[in-house]
Amino acid sequence: MFGAAAEAHPHVWITAKSELIYAPDGTITGVRHAWTFDDMFSSYALQGIEAKTKGAYTREELAPLAQTNVESLKEYAYFTFARGDGKKQRFNEPVDYFLEYRDTALTLHFTLPLKTPFKAKELSLEVFDPTYFIDFQYADKEPVKLVGASADCKMQFQRPNDGSAAAQKLGEQNFLDGGAGNFGMMFANKILVECP
Amino acid sequence: MMQTLSRAMRGLALSVAVLAAVALLDGAVHALLAQNPFGAPRAAEPEGGIVGWLLAKQSEFYRQMSATIRAAKSDGSAVWTLLAISFAYGIFHAAGPGHGKAVISSYLVANRETARRGIVLSFASALMQSLIAVLIVGICAWLLNATAKTMCGAEKAIEIASYALIAAFGARLVWVKGGGFIRALQLPRPALAMAGAHHHHDHGDHDRGGDHHHHAHEHHDHGHDHTHDHGHDPHHVHDEHCGHSHGPTPAELAGPGGWRRGLGAIFTVGIRPCSGAILVLVFALAQGLFWAGIAATFAMGLGTAITVAAIAVLAVSARGVAEKLSAARDGGGMLVMRGLEFAAAALVLLFGIGLLLGYVAAERVTCL
Repeated sequence: MFGAAAEAHPHVWITAKSELIYAPDGTITGVRHAWTFDDMFSSYALQGIEAKTKGAYTREELAPLAQTNVESLKEYAYFTFARGDGKKQRFNEPVDYFLEYRDTALTLHFTLPLKTPFKAKELSLEVFDPTYFIDFQYADKEPVKLVGASADCKMQFQRPNDGSAAAQKLGEQNFLDGGAGNFGMMFANKILVECP
Repeated sequence: MMQTLSRAMRGLALSVAVLAAVALLDGAVHALLAQNPFGAPRAAEPEGGIVGWLLAKQSEFYRQMSATIRAAKSDGSAVWTLLAISFAYGIFHAAGPGHGKAVISSYLVANRETARRGIVLSFASALMQSLIAVLIVGICAWLLNATAKTMCGAEKAIEIASYALIAAFGARLVWVKGGGFIRALQLPRPALAMAGAHHHHDHGDHDRGGDHHHHAHEHHDHGHDHTHDHGHDPHHVHDEHCGHSHGPTPAELAGPGGWRRGLGAIFTVGIRPCSGAILVLVFALAQGLFWAGIAATFAMGLGTAITVAAIAVLAVSARGVAEKLSAARDGGGMLVMRGLEFAAAALVLLFGIGLLLGYVAAERVTCL
């Protein structure tokens, strides 16, 4: 009854691509996302926004909407959850954000700088909506890139749908915990980077 | 005094037992969900679990809507497909949070309402939900050409108002039902009270959410042959207008007050539109097919109404079963029923407060 979130289902679909940004000394400084919204949500978001050329919105015309987007995302911690060697990491407010309109879909680009850039043997980054109002699906091609990372670093990417053991375990744990809070974790996309 | 206490304990224990049963059922549903790795909303066949399948289905229907609306631009017949998808989506979607299942069911249980009334309330509130969605998008987007940000602001305001309404509605139910419960607790042991009586009558208050106390006596002329028990503590307020455990009489239902009684429930549930409907409407408007979006919204509402009504009927039947079971228990049944009604009323209040404070997850409004 109170586990209502467990019955939630998405209203917004995002096709995501992410880049992990490293400094030359091997510290990770932030995450750069490119999130493409489904066409229903894209037209919803574009409602009331005037374009000089019909059906073609420029970056400038979309700037106020991009501003609204990143401001609203703050409440949800940008749906981006990072851990360095098991320790939770926090992000500053997004920088370099803009919206792009192509093929009836909006893509939100933004960079999340880490509050404190860090080095970690094992970095995990999860992208998901705990309430599963938004469904995050990573792009088929080049879903995740490491930018400027040492060649020794190994990246592993787990999709929520591949039935990986980790996702299953999370799911069970989640239900054992009572369920309502972190249902969306079952739909988490998990990026693991190991650097020696 | 000891008797009252022990009765109170027994009533509470039974109410707790009923609530525990509900919680168990809820847990069972979750266990069912857990067994099913339905972390595959797009997978064609999530393994096992009807619930998982339902969840997958509604996502599927929802995603088909935008494509169908686009298709309807060039091919009018696609509108029929749209209506069918929307209807099916409504049926599946109403199983999710929101849509007033909890509020309507609790209200029906608390107020001893009939299944028929439950169905009417479900359809009326779903219709109102659809209307509100059309009004929001019609005014904000179509008339004022407001941005999504403005619309989401309106949705947020309505959301808070709806939570406050649920809490207020619950508080009122608790107030009314609390009285009935306390009176039930104060009644002496039925075995003594019933000595020499033909049959036991339900002494609960008769006001179904209405303030009938002052003209309570007009209810006296129900053609019933019953015996009042006046032999108890003269200090306590005894509602003279014997509550009857049967449903409202046809006259009550037909009377203006009869339907007005349900308006609170309809309004409380109906004021909050479904985020999905708003998205579909705005999308349809952008495609120049606002009317198709409106039709889809009402088809969705119809589907929603069917699911909510089914759950409402289930709640009413469950109450009926509880009543039969408890009636067999030598008069203690009334206490159980009053306790159950009180618990249902309290549930609405807790639900409203939980929503207001963010403890209870509801369908999010589309603000990004």
